[in-house]
Amino acid sequence: MKIDRNEAKRIADLAYLEFDEAGLERMAGEMTTILSYIDQLREVDVAGFESVATSEATLMRDDVPRPPVERSAVAANAPAFSGDGHFIVPKVIGD
Amino acid sequence: MTELLHLPWHEAREQASSRELVDASIATIEALNPKLNAFLHIARDAGEGMPVAVKDNIVTTGMPTTCASRILGRFLSPFDATAVARLRAGSCSIVGKTNLDEFAMGSSTEYSAFGPARNPWDTTRVPGGSSGGSAVAVAARMVPAALGSETGGSVRQPAALCGVVGLKPTYGRVSRNGLVAFGSSVDQIGIVTKTVRECAEMLGMIAGHDPLDSTSSMNPVDDYAADLDAGVRGLRFGVVREAVARLEGEVRANFDDALRGLRAGGAVIDEVSVPSIGYAIAIYYIVANAEASANLSRFDGIRYGRRSARAKTLREVYFESRGEGFGDEVKRRIMLGTFALSSGYYDAYYGRAQAVRAKLRADFDAAFERFDYLLTPTTPETAFPIGAKTDDPLSMYLSDIFTAPANLVGIPAIAVPSGFSRERLPLSLQIMAPLFAERALFRAASFFEHETGYWRERPPVCAE
Repeated sequence: MKIDRNEAKRIADLAYLEFDEAGLERMAGEMTTILSYIDQLREVDVAGFESVATSEATLMRDDVPRPPVERSAVAANAPAFSGDGHFIVPKVIGD
Repeated sequence: MTELLHLPWHEAREQASSRELVDASIATIEALNPKLNAFLHIARDAGEGMPVAVKDNIVTTGMPTTCASRILGRFLSPFDATAVARLRAGSCSIVGKTNLDEFAMGSSTEYSAFGPARNPWDTTRVPGGSSGGSAVAVAARMVPAALGSETGGSVRQPAALCGVVGLKPTYGRVSRNGLVAFGSSVDQIGIVTKTVRECAEMLGMIAGHDPLDSTSSMNPVDDYAADLDAGVRGLRFGVVREAVARLEGEVRANFDDALRGLRAGGAVIDEVSVPSIGYAIAIYYIVANAEASANLSRFDGIRYGRRSARAKTLREVYFESRGEGFGDEVKRRIMLGTFALSSGYYDAYYGRAQAVRAKLRADFDAAFERFDYLLTPTTPETAFPIGAKTDDPLSMYLSDIFTAPANLVGIPAIAVPSGFSRERLPLSLQIMAPLFAERALFRAASFFEHETGYWRERPPVCAE
């Protein structure tokens, strides 16, 4: 699988990652090398193995109240937090 | 340097108080860490207990958790990981956080944002990874035991390259609550120790169901040390033909020696075919990275961690915080995973990798119908020089060629020291067992350890 610069840019936008031009070119080349190795999976006969669901159900716990994480601990970890308990982000709507 | 930390911990406990053990551990860390860079944080105020180190992608109260990434900034966890809480409840004291490849993505600890850890047998070489710091900490006798984490071999591979015991338990055996998520269907907390007995005792402390991890198993916790002296007479070991076919030189000769030792103990050894095992790395890099691309979306520069100082719009907060905060390898993996899940490629990559994974699982099921254990070397080569593979991601990935299958299939596997190369670098035997057969795994590993005694060897850095 060949990944060119434009395809790398498309994926970087999906992944919310910023690259400069040189970084995009390098990433495209490295992804091409790695995906060429991964392409060996195409040669495997997977008849009968297409479904990967297991028979075990996911364990569920009872939905009971537990003490939440302390707001002060959340505030201390946040890059920007207001005194009245909100995460601060740049303006999203308007301009 | 104190001899206390060279003893198996049940002997050390008889000879010293837990205060003395912690003090000896902190003193050794302080003395050796400038050379080895195994610890990112030293808990100089650690309380008394059996000293244990914790990989820095497992959250701990009272000390930082960095994942060896710049993106976490000054993050302080408000809670302990379940495994850490159980260690503390089991009279262990957390003496520090160990170095790793950023977000556990790597096989050498060179992708740490805080510089590589170094192999105590030769400090110009890598210790393996991603749990390199934990393996170095135990190998250099800074601590008797450490927690690591596995996604494709990140405990066993560094344990092998550093000459210590490394266990990946069955998927779901140990709660993942508080382990920073990488590949959720393959992640599992693992253990590094000097000896098999210490490893079995550690597993007994941290194993078991946890309501906070819905994938943790209800399967009862076993008495893992019960059969350590039971020997291997009559037990059936399968040598994985496809893995052995690739072996060369010293690794091959050492593996053949290990087989002779097991046979001398009465083990029944034969070859077995696991036809899909050669696809493990290709499957792994799709499945684990697809899961990583989703798991790492939580690092957004908003709720915790570092926000780019350049960002003025919301979009810039996301793109620039992640662009500046993640290292190259993490970005590479997020890109691969995002690609494999993207519209038009999902079936061809993610869907196909999951199908081949199901086939690999069936291959292992068939092999375990005939054998109690499967054997390979833990790694295809000894520790490589720092810098040798950082420009070649694919060759770095192939370091995990023998370890990744156990993660994909979910089975437990252990790395046990099996000798030294001519350059006096550690070699290691990997033993794999069926799901939840940890007790049997420790039985075989313990026999091999007693026969060979390599755990008594000391790296040169301990003598300085």
